[in-house]
Amino acid sequence: MSARYDVAVVGGGLLGAALARELASDGVDVLLLERDQINQHASGRNAGSLHFQLEYRMIERGLDAARRAAEAIPLHLESARLWQELGAEIGPALGVAQRGGLMLATDAEGARRLEAKAELERSWGLEVSVLDRTETHRLAPYLADTVLAASYCPDEGKANARTAAPALCRAAVGLGADVLTRVGVTGLEREGSRWKIRAEQNSVPMTFEADIVILAAGVWCDELAAMMGSAVPVEPVALTMSVTARTAPFTPYLIQHAGARLSLKQTAEGNVLIGGGWPARLASHADGTVDLRGRGEIVSTSLAGNAAAAIAAVPSVTSLPVLRTWVGTTTLAPDQLPVVGPLPGAPGAFVATGGSVFTLGPAFAVLLSELVQGRTPRLDLRPYRVDRFDRDEAVRDAG
Amino acid sequence: MSTYDLGIVGAGPAGMTAALTALALGLSVVVVDEQQRPGGQIFRQPPASRSPIPKGVAGYPWGQSLVADAEASSGRDGIRWCLGATALGVLEDDAGLELIVRQAARTERVGVRRLLVATGAMDLPVAFPGWTLPGVVTAGGMQTMLKAQQVLMARNVVLTGGHPLLLLVAGLILDAGGDIAEIALPRSRASLRDLPRAVGALPGHLGVLANAAATAAKLARSRVPVRRGAIVTAARGDGRVEEVDVAALRADNTIDPEQAPRTVPADGVVLGYGFQPATDLARQAGCGLRWDSPAGGWVIAHDDDLRTTVPNIFVAGEPAGVAGADQARAEGRLAALMVAASVRGDDGVADNDVESARRDVRRARRFASVVQRLFEPPRETLTDLARGDTTVCRCEAVTRDDVEVAIEANPFLSSTNALKLECRTGMGPCQGRYCELTTAGLLARGRDMSMEQVGPLNAQFPIRPATVGEIGRMAEPE
Amino acid sequence: MPDSSRVARPGGDRFEIAVDGQPAAAYDGDTLAAAMVAAGITRFHSGVDDSPRMVLCNMGTCFECTVTVDEVPLQRACLIAARPGMVVTTESAR
Repeated sequence: MSARYDVAVVGGGLLGAALARELASDGVDVLLLERDQINQHASGRNAGSLHFQLEYRMIERGLDAARRAAEAIPLHLESARLWQELGAEIGPALGVAQRGGLMLATDAEGARRLEAKAELERSWGLEVSVLDRTETHRLAPYLADTVLAASYCPDEGKANARTAAPALCRAAVGLGADVLTRVGVTGLEREGSRWKIRAEQNSVPMTFEADIVILAAGVWCDELAAMMGSAVPVEPVALTMSVTARTAPFTPYLIQHAGARLSLKQTAEGNVLIGGGWPARLASHADGTVDLRGRGEIVSTSLAGNAAAAIAAVPSVTSLPVLRTWVGTTTLAPDQLPVVGPLPGAPGAFVATGGSVFTLGPAFAVLLSELVQGRTPRLDLRPYRVDRFDRDEAVRDAG
Repeated sequence: MSTYDLGIVGAGPAGMTAALTALALGLSVVVVDEQQRPGGQIFRQPPASRSPIPKGVAGYPWGQSLVADAEASSGRDGIRWCLGATALGVLEDDAGLELIVRQAARTERVGVRRLLVATGAMDLPVAFPGWTLPGVVTAGGMQTMLKAQQVLMARNVVLTGGHPLLLLVAGLILDAGGDIAEIALPRSRASLRDLPRAVGALPGHLGVLANAAATAAKLARSRVPVRRGAIVTAARGDGRVEEVDVAALRADNTIDPEQAPRTVPADGVVLGYGFQPATDLARQAGCGLRWDSPAGGWVIAHDDDLRTTVPNIFVAGEPAGVAGADQARAEGRLAALMVAASVRGDDGVADNDVESARRDVRRARRFASVVQRLFEPPRETLTDLARGDTTVCRCEAVTRDDVEVAIEANPFLSSTNALKLECRTGMGPCQGRYCELTTAGLLARGRDMSMEQVGPLNAQFPIRPATVGEIGRMAEPE
Repeated sequence: MPDSSRVARPGGDRFEIAVDGQPAAAYDGDTLAAAMVAAGITRFHSGVDDSPRMVLCNMGTCFECTVTVDEVPLQRACLIAARPGMVVTTESAR
């Protein structure tokens, strides 16, 4: 007989770990299944930014796109609050430090864009102010002279992407959740009012049963959804990250750029993390299709571009030694908004994915937990429903 | 961006042989090595300004002429020696492989149709209490500092480890006027009498041990205490090594807890436990690895013709399994022939040449595999030299306790890579080369898993740190 | 006892480098690591635990001989040649 659970969460990233903890804390009998190790993919490879301002990718396409993206700000506000709570509860392993974020502009057009962006964000309740040149440099004297303005959001900051998900997992286990790693899901079948989960650990078959299945598997959500006869219209995107050797603390801020792909911050240990969405190469099969199990590859022009963007914003990083670079693969929906909610055509199945899942993970976890326990979610999830675009349109737009 | 038929990383016996073979076959070749002159660690040369090429290394009569031929080829069409240069990694662009090379703060992308990983080996790191103290040095480090720089890093040393290179280094220290407080040798399957036969197949300047009797006699004349069944368990001192603990080993090479270690005054400890393949470039390129303890630990998986699991990337020499300079040379030649055949089509290379190269590799391998088993390090005993408060990751100062707490607190964690993220071991400038085996050994033991199951650490670009500025300039046109 | 660790009289020209502001002798053909060892320097950098660190491998893999050279951090002293006027700073814990 297979083990039975109220809820099975598939995917051991930040979201899966947060979900397991959230559900277990409500007394739900929860199982977390991870094919590899906890935190080994997008969650452990992203920059750990807690970014609540609209990102470069959301504003580069003009104000209309920005307005659409701004609809997700309530999620951001909820997440900002939840990260703070979690940080207080779980402690240093989460690495939460919300000491503010700066988004830079280096030309008049960028400064204007910051003003429009800040106005939009404030209308949704996010605290953002635009600092002029003098104020910006007073706050952050290490910024390049070319920085003309910055929008400042006090809620922004960072968490430790390296250790946050394992810390949440430990908390989940402490609350009674079962966490199994090296267990790959091979089949999801509806049996009566339950899901039967077929899986493998080191080639040994296993089965589980659960009333509810939640997919928290990032780029693998779509192939898992397909096992349930459904689909999640997101596309994988491979992104570049770099980290330098430790250096004396110089910035408490999350630094982003309104007109360039850049995120830069310093870890508690003093390493500088550099990212910002520079593309990397997805692994591909011999026939050219994307191989989601393969290792994404650094592209030298992206890496160089990212380094140059970092130097242009903070010149003193020029002489810092880069210790490692890596590729994280995240998902994006065609409209850049998250994808959260019931899986169409698969009763008792839910999903959350679609970009910024690290930042928004705690909010997704709370909302999904409310949803699967039959409560009314504290935020309106309709803008993020899975079936808001048909599959063909999704693929076309993302391409 | 210039493009070469063959890029070779490492200018030791394998790399030099491959370069000259490929050049003779008409391929365009670029060779990258961090040293200023070709030779690798085994034939490491003093600076050109200081002295002529020294006499050949006994046991390797071909070594001196190989280095001379390599240096003579510099300036010829079709070959470029990038010396004093660092291969930061291999990336792929639409045109194929690109080797990222840094030379004097200039970073260059070099297109290569094929890549040969000939990156050699490094001394096996062994964490024990006090091993971060100045004065603790690897056998290879002591040896190269003496031979290439004529500088003695400590005056009165204890040598420990089971590898025959250790005795050679002892001889060098005596020749240089240094004192040897003691030589502590764990038991190996080989006795000193086996050494002369083993010499030809071992890395390091072991040819000198062809005259092992003379070395032993020299040690005896100098009244050097050589203790078999002993091992250094700790070094202590204020700011550098001042005293060293030597413990007795039982017949199974485990430390006898009943017997207190002896304390020996010394200002240095030389570690000669053997070698591990330098696999970071291959790992970064995505090549598969294989665990082979006698061959040095993690080795690069390859087929009989030295192809790795990544298309267009070949391996030769120690990264394919630590097997000594003769095998490295044989593999260098075979790899170059296979590269030529794959670039040109099979017609470009004579069948006879390929057959004879394969035969040479097979012959060298038979001999080497015997030697590998003789000197396989006692890994379990070495893992346990680290005490709870011993630093295992030197770069990030992560202790054995830190590692074991992470293993204990995260029952769902079972890979070396996940352990690295959890406790920062392997996250510093050396990128895990010096802690991997200790931490992986602790994890494997804690989970009752094999080394294959807990797996190797990933290596990421750049495999040696490069500044943000150097990386930012990487994509600039030449 | 500077220079006592030199086994042979160096053949090259003698010149000076500066290590933490103090002059140290070096010879043409010296690696920076050899010159520093010969000058009696045992703390090349400090680990993150503030412990002294010095040459371990002498082949560029261990990063224990790293120093700041002419304001560029994390340079491996064992791989670079000592040059007249080189300004070397031993690195403190961060």
